[in-house]
Order: sequence, then structure tokens, then C-alpha cells
Amino acid sequence: MKQSPSLRALIVGAGIAGMQAALEIANAGYGVVLVERLPSIGGRMAQLSETFPTLDCAQCILTPRTVEVGHHPLIELITYSEIKDIRPIQADERAGFRVLIHRHPAYVNWDVCTGCGYCQEKCPVRVDSEFERNLGKRKAIYTLSPQAVPNKPVIDRQHCIFFQRGKCRACERFCPTGAIDYTQEAQLVEVEVQAVILATGYELYDLSRLPEYGGGRMVDVIDALAFERLLSASGPTAGKILRPSDGTVPREVVFIQCAGSRDPERHLPYCSKICCMYAAKQAMLYRHRVHDGQAYVFYIDVRAAGKRYDEFTQRAMEEENVLYLRGKVSRLMRRDGKVHVLGADTLSGRQIEIAADMVVVAPAMLPHPETRRLAGMLGLPTDEHGWLLPLEPQLHPVETIRPGVFLAGTVTGPMDIPETVAHAGGAAAKVLSMFLRQTGALVEGAG
Amino acid sequence: MARIGVFVCHCGLNIAGTVNVQRVVESVRSYPDVVFATDYRYMCSDPGQTLIRQAIIEYGLDGIVVAACSPTMHETTFRKAAAAVGLNPYCVEIANIREQVAWPHQSEPDKATEKAIETIASIVEKVRYDEPLELLTFPVTRRALVIGGGVAGLTAALEIANAGYPVILVERSERLGGHVAQLSYLYPDFDASEALLKPLIEAVTGHPLIHVLTNSVLTGWEGQAGNFTVTLRGIPSPIKVGAAILATGFKLYAQQHLPEYGGGRYPDVIDSLKFEAMLKAGEIRRPSDGRVPQEVVWVQCAGSRDPASHCPYCSKICCMYVARQAALYRRAVPEGQAYVFYIDIRSQGRGYEEFVRQVMEEYEVVYLRGKVSKIIERNGVLEVWGADTLSGQALHLNADLVILALAAIPGAGSEALAHLMRVATDESGFFAEVHPKLRPVESFTAGIYLAGAAQFPKDIRESVAQATGAAAKVLQLFARGEMVAEPNVATVDEELCAGCGRCVEICPYDARAMHAWKTLATVNAALCQSCGACAVVCPNKATTIKNLSPRQVMAMVEALL
Repeated sequence: MKQSPSLRALIVGAGIAGMQAALEIANAGYGVVLVERLPSIGGRMAQLSETFPTLDCAQCILTPRTVEVGHHPLIELITYSEIKDIRPIQADERAGFRVLIHRHPAYVNWDVCTGCGYCQEKCPVRVDSEFERNLGKRKAIYTLSPQAVPNKPVIDRQHCIFFQRGKCRACERFCPTGAIDYTQEAQLVEVEVQAVILATGYELYDLSRLPEYGGGRMVDVIDALAFERLLSASGPTAGKILRPSDGTVPREVVFIQCAGSRDPERHLPYCSKICCMYAAKQAMLYRHRVHDGQAYVFYIDVRAAGKRYDEFTQRAMEEENVLYLRGKVSRLMRRDGKVHVLGADTLSGRQIEIAADMVVVAPAMLPHPETRRLAGMLGLPTDEHGWLLPLEPQLHPVETIRPGVFLAGTVTGPMDIPETVAHAGGAAAKVLSMFLRQTGALVEGAG
Repeated sequence: MARIGVFVCHCGLNIAGTVNVQRVVESVRSYPDVVFATDYRYMCSDPGQTLIRQAIIEYGLDGIVVAACSPTMHETTFRKAAAAVGLNPYCVEIANIREQVAWPHQSEPDKATEKAIETIASIVEKVRYDEPLELLTFPVTRRALVIGGGVAGLTAALEIANAGYPVILVERSERLGGHVAQLSYLYPDFDASEALLKPLIEAVTGHPLIHVLTNSVLTGWEGQAGNFTVTLRGIPSPIKVGAAILATGFKLYAQQHLPEYGGGRYPDVIDSLKFEAMLKAGEIRRPSDGRVPQEVVWVQCAGSRDPASHCPYCSKICCMYVARQAALYRRAVPEGQAYVFYIDIRSQGRGYEEFVRQVMEEYEVVYLRGKVSKIIERNGVLEVWGADTLSGQALHLNADLVILALAAIPGAGSEALAHLMRVATDESGFFAEVHPKLRPVESFTAGIYLAGAAQFPKDIRESVAQATGAAAKVLQLFARGEMVAEPNVATVDEELCAGCGRCVEICPYDARAMHAWKTLATVNAALCQSCGACAVVCPNKATTIKNLSPRQVMAMVEALL
């Protein structure tokens, strides 16, 4: 294989979009610098349980990808790091970009660490895990998941007893390879690249912004990503559906769609695109776990436009008896250990009240805050919500106004996984095309 | 092989939590030809790999077994580690004692330990007879074939050509542009479709590396990824191409299949493309009498989302173009009234939701949630019968013109292409992607990729993104310049082969053929997927799979019994 690692692309964000773009470019023989903010790669998909419409386990289809990215000789993986600065080397972007990467101190020497996990076992501190959407705990020294790539821990300074009070050192004492290094400092890494792909993904509208749904303070009202963790075999409950308040199995679960979406008066005007499908999946998986349970889905329109998507929601309704109610939920009330869901059924024209054991809210998708920062650095336009704007929406969906800078996946707006993968492949094609023009595509052998 | 090493991984507690790894190591150490055995907490970690490399050198190992997780996880890792110190990677085997032993037998650690020992013994028997093999490489013809000249095909062709590779673009009709060329204006900005399409077509037709062939179809197709030979109508000699992109788009479900909506008998019940032509011409008139229609009804999901009688799937693009058509009608006929019957409004995309809202509020298009049950023509008036599911009332409207948003079905000629090129299709006839989540642009046939609505209905934006993604696959293949294949393929012992041809019959991948003049079966290593069907039917055991010989299989089975 002809390799030209002298031409390299920077990819910011190692979710499914960033990984896909990285593999497409590296497998063509060009270099990639893949920067991820978190300690390990995989992004949102790593948090999912099973995926629609095939119900493949997300971790099972993702792990071969994360492993491939982690081991690829042409992909330089820089995790637990943020972009400090990107600027064109010369006035013209065609000469490439100089990138400054701020590497957070892990307080663990990753070159020596074997990922054995003893430190995590021995660490006495237990704190809420962001990866588990606060439904599970992690230690002060932690990896995001047992399948993490790279499988190396970081110390969370804020919660580490040694950093706060100067004692403990349990991880240091038990580490068989002497990898713990409390004196480690942040590093500044400088790289030069010839192209940039932004793949910083999305986050969810915070429940605290939805007072009508408890504002994040009502127990047993969780967001959809938290429910994914409950469904996940490697999640905090090992895949058992248990409600957070008392650990009992919820018999009635209400799923609320369009929480913050399609609501120009109070929240966001746009449709978040992916919720209809994952809600159908979550309701279905809930029924697989709790056979006698009843799932309700409040919706405005069921948006199941994709291969086997409509058929999938039909299955949720017909085979799993998920009750779809067309209407918006006006209010949630906590009473007698239940969450009372008050809403209108626009088909019967009646008010309904469901005494649910648990409520799962599908919040709107928002651009990740990193996106805005990077857009500022590169002078890229966003729409009023912060999603990055492509050069032109119809024929140039992955290009930007800056030559050499491309977009992959949900940085441009809500998308599901297949659309993200195709879109990220598109961004990679643009980079490959640019690199091939520079190295001179070889056409000998065309005969 | 005589000097075998065994490396047992703890995988943290994943394996060691159930399997007694010390006992496993002690037991396999005494196995014939095992000259070294050890365990380590994470064999895949850098220190774990170093341990393997050092042991290979120190003990002069000529084969190793790594007892760890599934080979899909780390087989490549360990093969690379061994190759770095000169051990042939095909003399490295994985004994899966995690997914197949530790995980399913957590409650029975003793039995799990026994099973781990037997599993390893069996793989040691395989390694004993493993032959060193080299990766197979095949040169790639760096020229692409793009089938379909719509927006997806045009985009893919241009992307590949812009990278410097020649492309043949085949279009069955006499013009490029596909359905987009038939559209008037586009959502959500009402841009003229011509403004979008014209520069794209000009870039393609003017590109020195793109050869456009209209009025042509494939008449022959053979070969494998990297080296296909295509025969095209209108071109005298076959052409070699390295990869193909299928961009054959969609067509509309025939109105004749919908007797409830007149089955095509009513002149004023038309499909959306006919209405598009009116919008493009700037003149909206009823086909029957040339009058400007004052009451126009759009019927969504005509043939879609109807598993009982028509297509079970949602056609994805109709909600948005119907909103746009209704708005354009209201612009053209301000005094006219537009109604849209829908089940769900599926406006998913940047600015789409806002667009439909604008159509309802500013253009005052009336949306009615419900399905139209029948359309009857009486004295030049179309009676549209349906139910408004929001008010729960039956509803009937008199309309001058009805536009059906017909289901999108696979494009013309796609069935014949699927057959000719041996590309798998799904239950609805669209080309099937390898994996719905992670491999959406690859067909099941290596070297053939999918772009646009050929895979499933898509709007322009999504088709373009997917076409560019498909182009990435082609560029990757061409940039590498060679196809690499695993060497553990079928092989024929010419001494034993009687030329009966059973292997040719059974091979599902067309990898077997009879020799041109000898009474012998041959193997096309580029096509062989090592399934072993040929080895099973061969009456003389002349065909075997490399590194899975009958001797190996028997030895492995014996070790287990």
C-alpha cells in the first residue's frame, strides 16, 4: 500500500462520525490526527444500548471500530485533549493548518499503564458518573467504560483525596507498573495538518430547561440517554430496568417526545429527527425486559422515515402493545410515589392522566458547546442555534466556506447513525480528493 | 510445527474472574510440543505484546496460541505483534476463552476452567499444522463506473474525477439530471432546481476524466472488486473498471395500483411529477378542461405505509415536496385553496420543520390528518372522501385537481442490474447495504457501492452526502492501488482432482470454475470467501481450505473429545 503520511488531516471529535472519517482517510494511506475531549473514543454511540431498527447491541458493533481506530498505524489518537488554536500556516488555507492541542494531565503515565484496572478497584472515592448520566458511580480514577479505547484511566482532580487533602495514594500504592504520576502537567502538542474535519457532535437540551417536565429535579423523570444506560447490559443496573428513586421495576413508563423540539414559542423550533425512532426502540426494549409492563409514547407526528423505520414503529405498536398517544404533555406531578403525566390526546380530544412509575423525556438535540468555540476559531458561520452551516446545503453538505475545512455528522444538525456515517464518509472523500490531487493520483494500470 | 507457545490472558477479571488461569497454564504447559506457556493480565496491552514478542525470540517459537477474547477483537493485534519479530502471522491462532468460555459459564468456574484447557488444546492442534501464508494482493484498475446520471450519480462521478481518476457515467435515458431535472423549485428555499443542476451537469460533461454515456445500459458484467469487466450498450469492446457505484434512483409507484384513487382513469387525478411539470411550465391547469383549479387536494402516502395492500415503508421525501408544491400552487393561484391529507408530517432536516410551519401559516395550506379512502369523479368534480382523525369526523371535499404523492419504488432497471451484477436487494427491491448503521454505502458485493435513492428514498441533500460517502470508498480503494485478501482460501490438489465440477456448482461466490482445457477445477482467490462448501462436497478431498485442512480439523476434534 502506498502511504503518504506526510499529508495529514486533523479530526476533532472521535464519535462515530470522527472515527468513520478517520478510518476512511487512514485506510487510503494518509495520516490522521484524531483529537477527543474525553479520555476515550466512541462518543454518544458508546453510551447506547441497542440500535434501531435491527436491535444490534451498540457496543458490539462499535468495539471493532474503536479497536481499529486505536491500533491504526496511520491514526494518531490524542484523547483527553482540546483544541487550543487552529490557524492557517499561511494566509492561504491551502498550505495547511497549525494546530495547538491542550492535553489534560491524566496523572497516569499511559506509556507504562497496562490498563489492568487495579487502581479503579482500590480507589476509595465514588462519585456520580457522567457517562452513566449520573445513574451510576465511578471512582476518582476512572475509565469511561470497561471497553474504553484507549483503556487507560485518568484521575479526576476535583474528587481525588490525594489532590484535595494530600493523602490516600491508594492508586499509586497498588499500581503494579508505577504508572501513577501526581506531578504530571498539562501538555501543549503542536501539529501541522493539511485538512480539518469537525465532528464534535451534539448534546441534549438539559432537563433543567424544561420546568414543565420537572426541570431535572423530579425523581424518576430521566432523559433518553439515561434510559439508554439503564437498558445497557454494561450500564449501572446491568440492563435491568429499575427506577432511580427506589430501585423497583417500573410497570408503567411514559415516553415524552419533542421535549424542547418543535416548540418555537418556548424552546427550539426544529425537529430533532432521531427521537421518534429511539423512543420506539426504547419502548420496545423496555417491553422485552418487563413483559407485563405498559409503555406509552406521547408524540406529535411519528417520524419514521428510513429503511425499515416505519415497519419498526408499527412493530412497537402492534407486537409490543406500546400505546401511542398523539398529543403533548402539559405537566408532570409527583404524587404518592408516582409521576402523574397530564396531557391531551388530540385524537380523542380528551384530557388524559397517567400515573406512571417512570417518565423518559426525549430532549431536543443541541450542538456541542465545543462547536461554537471551534467555529469562532476558524471563522465558520453557524445558524441561530449554533449548528455549523455547510458551504451550501444541497450539493455541498460537507464543505465549509474555508477551503480544507469540512464537517462530519451532527455538527451540522440532528442526524441518525447511518446518515452520520454516510456524511462523515463524504467529508473523508473531500479530504482524500484534496490529498490525491496534491500527491498526483496514479492512474497507471487503468487499461 | 514443533515449538508452540501459549499465552493466556486474564482480560482483567473478565476471564480470570471465572477461569483459573494458573491451572490452565500449568495444564497446557505439559501438552505435547508446547515449549512455553504463561499468563498475563492484559495480553493485548503493550507489555502483553512485548511479552509475546520476547518469548517468540527467546524460545524460537514457530507457532503461538493466544487464549483471550474473540478473534474479531484482537486476532489482528496479535498477528501483527508476532510478525514484528518474524513469526508468520498465520501461525498465530486465538483460542476464545472469554465470549465462549468465561462469560457464558460464570456460575461454574471449575467446568469453565476445564473447557478453557480443552479449547486451547484444540487450537494448539490447529497451530501444529498451520502453514506460513502470505497476504494475497491484486492490482486495482483505477477507473470507476457510475450507473445513473441523477444528482447522486453526478455527484459521485465528479468527486472521483476531481481526485484524478477516470469515470464512466452511464445513464439509461437520453439526458442527465434524473428526477431533479424534472423539479421546478426546491424546498426549503424555493431555489430553482435548474440553478442547482445546470452547473453540476456542466462540471460533469466538461470534465476531461468523465466519459458520459447516455442512452446506454450494462449488458455484461464480470470479475471482482478491483478488476471488473463491463460491457455497455453502444460501446464495442468491454472496459475494465475497478469499482462501481449504483445510483439508479427511484421511480413512482404506478397509479394503476390504486383503484381507490381512480387507478389512473381520472384525468384530473395526477401524480406529483405531472404537477411538477405544470409548476415548471408556470401554468397550472386541469388536464381535463384546461381550467385553473381552485380547490386542490394532495394525498400523501399514496401506496406508502400500507403493508396490507401496497408498500409497507414510508417514502420519506413526499411530506416535504408536497408542502413545497402546495405553497407554490398558492403563489401561482392566490385565490385557490390547497388541502393536504397526511398521516404524520415528516419534516426532518435543517429548516424543514420551519418550512412546513411557514406553508401552513403564511401560505394558508390546510393540513388534514387522515387517510383518503376513495376518490370519485362526478360531473367533472372530484369527490375526495376521507376521515379527519383529529376531529374524528368523516370528511368529503370537492376538488378540481388531486395530486397523489405516490410511493417511491426502486428505479427502472435496478432489478436487472441486481441480477447482472449479483448485488443483493432488500425486501422492497432497493439495493441492500452491508450494515444499516455502520456500512450504509457498501453493497454486499465488494467493490460495488450505493448512492442516493437506489438504496432507499432520499432527498437531494441526503443523496448528495451519501454519494460523496460512496465516492470516498472508491477513492480509498484507488489510493491504495491494490486489493488485499486473506490467503486462507480454497486450494486444489491437482493430483487428486477428478474434475467432477461439484465445487463449481456449490460455490456461492462464483469463485470456482473449470480449467480452460484441463479436467480440473480452479479457484479464483480474489472471490473465495473461505466458506468451505467446496471442501465439503469434494469427493476426493482434492479441495481444501488453507490452514483448515482435514488433518487439522480431525486433530482439533480429537483434542476436544
